[in-house]
Amino acid sequence: MRKDEELPLSRQLPLDEDVRRELAHHLAEREKELMAAGLSPTEAAAEARRSFGDMTEVTEECREITREYRKAKRRAESVESWRQDLVLAWRLLRKSPGFTLAAVLTLALGIGANAAIFSVVNGTLLTPLPYDHPEQLVDLNERHQTGWGNVPTGNLVDWRAQSHSFVGMAQYGRGYRTTLTNQGALSAWNSTVSSEFFGLFGVKPVRGRLPTPEEYEAGSADVAVVSYDFWRVQLGAPTDLSTQRIRTNKDYQVIGVLPRGFEYPLDTEVWTPLKFSEVTMNRTAHNFSSVGRLRPGVSVAEANKELDQITARMATIDGPNFDATGAMVTTLQDRLTQGTKAPLFLLLGASGLLLLAACTNLASSMLARGMTRRQEIAVRIALGAGRLRIVRQLFTESLLLALLGTMAGLGVALVALKLFDQVAPASIRLTEVHLDGWVLLFTALVGISTTVLVGLIPALRISGVAPGVAMRAGQRAGFGKRERRIWNALVVTEVALALALLSGSALLIRSFGQVLKVDPGFRVDSLLTVTIALPTSVYDSDARIEAIWTRTLASIRAIPGVQEAALSSAAPFGSDNSHGSFGIEGVPPGPAGYGPGNAGYRMVSEQYFHTMGIPVISGREFDDRDNASGAGTIVVNQALVRAFFDGKDPVGQRIILESRMDNSPEVYLTVIGVVGDVHHNSMTGPMGPETYVPLHQRPSRGYTVTLLLHTAVTPGTLITPVRNALREMAPDMVPTFATMGERIARSQTDRRFTMVILSVFAAIALGLAGVGIYGVVSFTVAQRTREMGIRLALGASPDQVRALTQLGAMRTVGIGIALGVVAALVTTRVMATMLYQVSSADPIAFGGATGLLVLVAWIASRLPAARVARLNPMLTIRAE
Amino acid sequence: MVRPPMPLLKGTLDILILRTLSWGPAHGYAISRWIRQTTRDELSIEEGALYPALRRLEARGVVEATWKTTDSGREAKVYRLTSSGHQELKQELSGWNRYVAAMTRVIETRPTEALA
Repeated sequence: MRKDEELPLSRQLPLDEDVRRELAHHLAEREKELMAAGLSPTEAAAEARRSFGDMTEVTEECREITREYRKAKRRAESVESWRQDLVLAWRLLRKSPGFTLAAVLTLALGIGANAAIFSVVNGTLLTPLPYDHPEQLVDLNERHQTGWGNVPTGNLVDWRAQSHSFVGMAQYGRGYRTTLTNQGALSAWNSTVSSEFFGLFGVKPVRGRLPTPEEYEAGSADVAVVSYDFWRVQLGAPTDLSTQRIRTNKDYQVIGVLPRGFEYPLDTEVWTPLKFSEVTMNRTAHNFSSVGRLRPGVSVAEANKELDQITARMATIDGPNFDATGAMVTTLQDRLTQGTKAPLFLLLGASGLLLLAACTNLASSMLARGMTRRQEIAVRIALGAGRLRIVRQLFTESLLLALLGTMAGLGVALVALKLFDQVAPASIRLTEVHLDGWVLLFTALVGISTTVLVGLIPALRISGVAPGVAMRAGQRAGFGKRERRIWNALVVTEVALALALLSGSALLIRSFGQVLKVDPGFRVDSLLTVTIALPTSVYDSDARIEAIWTRTLASIRAIPGVQEAALSSAAPFGSDNSHGSFGIEGVPPGPAGYGPGNAGYRMVSEQYFHTMGIPVISGREFDDRDNASGAGTIVVNQALVRAFFDGKDPVGQRIILESRMDNSPEVYLTVIGVVGDVHHNSMTGPMGPETYVPLHQRPSRGYTVTLLLHTAVTPGTLITPVRNALREMAPDMVPTFATMGERIARSQTDRRFTMVILSVFAAIALGLAGVGIYGVVSFTVAQRTREMGIRLALGASPDQVRALTQLGAMRTVGIGIALGVVAALVTTRVMATMLYQVSSADPIAFGGATGLLVLVAWIASRLPAARVARLNPMLTIRAE
Repeated sequence: MVRPPMPLLKGTLDILILRTLSWGPAHGYAISRWIRQTTRDELSIEEGALYPALRRLEARGVVEATWKTTDSGREAKVYRLTSSGHQELKQELSGWNRYVAAMTRVIETRPTEALA
């Protein structure tokens, strides 16, 4: 007998053999029959073959049919067995809903956090700007002694003429203005842009046209182009633009509509040509932002180097009246995301840690589940199930769990993105953020690979056990030393990860607390701010501006509940942060030929300091005496006195403002008072030098002002009466209301965003660690019930038994905390730049985080341990 | 005198096989011999054609095959009808009977008056 003939007959023969044998059998039988009828063997063989027909053809045909049949059968069988695995897996998961729910939830939180943060990173940092070849667009600034800032037009013209790295450069200025359309008045971001601007971005109008080169010349007609949404919503989507006019500082003819989505610089709705000949060629007036497009193949560094060289050459030619020391070229994308990059990458890292914590948690609960199923699996192996089959079954279970977890995770991510909307700073372009295909793929990969890896480790370990051993051990849900060690390692990891996240979050919370404690230098409570931009086409003279504000202040002060009212061209925590250089009478100018000073420039009304609660340190604040006919006066702050008057009282001395942003005559102004310092833009920045000039001597600075109301009642309740008073005064004013508290809070959204998200992550990690510890202790208790029963029977007190159980768990937690502190000390160092007056190793933050973790661990281990103390010794001993 | 055997009508081999197997499991040669003997060689069937037909029936799930050791001690591939095979045979037979009856009626019926 040949070896392959020993195969069990139910098995399939190899295809060729199957056909060959069947046909051979036919021929043999036929020959036998023919010989029995009297034919000779040779004749019988010949006749059998003849009556059979074409042997080769039949053989081939049979093979073909059966080959196809077997292929189809195999396919169907494998589909069927996967289906069976899946059904079994589903049934098993449903049989332990607690485990399933916990595992799916754990995965969902880990995956959801990652998907949400990755979506934000993807939308904000990785998605290119929606312009033609965005990588070539750069933000241009110049460096000077004390920092960097806008490039003066005079310098930009030279850069453009002499450099070879650029296709073009453009300038623009952006302002929030009251904008009158045929339909009504609104506040909108208006930008004035130089002639190269639209070409640089490669933007083409979807309706009408862009300004012609002549329209960028002085004396030409005033034209404007508008954003798609402005055209649609504010103008009512007219097909004929010829009747559409927009009035802000001038009366503009609308000539074109830009494509949907183009709103550079940030949220601009109306663009008007910057008339080149009206722009000062001054080399120290930092009035406009600049943008450039690099030639293809030129790097940012190369372009920067070239501009540095040109700037150095310009300095030697232009001599003393020149303050630039170099150029600063940054890609536009980097500039727009500069504030969000570090926090977003921090959060991405944190969400990674969170996912790791979730996986660890999952691994320990799956290990526990694997242990309890040991016997079931041993039985199946003993009954003849192949190892591979068992592994595949466990693999299917993990896969199913992963799919459920991933789907739930996407739900979590969607909810999280909605919540981000509430806390995210404006710099995160949430409109660009959505769950796209890449995010889905990323999430699915993370989720599935995690669960499958985690699920297979116990699977391989379990299936490697000899059935006999496992079945015997299975009687007591075997839990060897090795499993215990793995499990303890998992708990240590969970605790360490939770501590790292908690410490990071504690640092940010501490830091935010420090920021909140900062005194801005003015009152925050009971201060209402009302920002108004006048349509300057209506208020076209200094006299008119002065008159409207004088009347406005008088009527506002008459509203019940208003204690004091004043106005400023640049109230703190707004968008105006004008600066200018100034000279001091009798003091030689700085090395560059001007100065020596540079300070914030604010035009304010009488009673401003009183209303704001800024203390007057010396001299007086503005009053009726500081009018158009009187001598020019100025108020400075203490920081300016310290920096430029050696701290000596400057009242009576005279100052000259050099970069005059309001076309006022260049005259000396007498210092009449010194006031306290304020935080103008940011609570965490330094309090810089400030100059204040009076409204009645500088009314031309009053196009956009902020009214400040010190209220005797809750500031918000005055919004309606103030709005009514303003409407009565001038219906074309469009006020924007905010309490000072809201303005400051807005400047802190970045900080708050990072803090809130990281704290949520930390809370989840803490919960996971708690659940993990609870699980381990519960299982230990279940295992050692008999031992504990004996201890109790032998006279140990319930408290002792409980303490013994809890002690073991807390020892593991202790190791995790020690490792976590070390890990946190290393990782929180990357947060140093995000912290304010808190060391990245702040003992209070670390102490608080550790304390919280110990508390949670203690509760998590106490609950199951308490169960031990309630055991009835006799029952537990008998149970086994 | 020996009359030449008639060619088999298309599609009728399956009916012959199924009917043969309806008497019990059989290997290919037994099926072939049974058909040959019961038709008394009136039908011309190339014996080889039986095997692809059997395998097609197997692929359709109408019959199933297993290798068995026969009484004579040889190994043979034995086919038997599945339950869907029984169903199919029933349908095929009723179809065939209706076909034959219809044929017979046309052939045997004499018109009572002129057809045209």
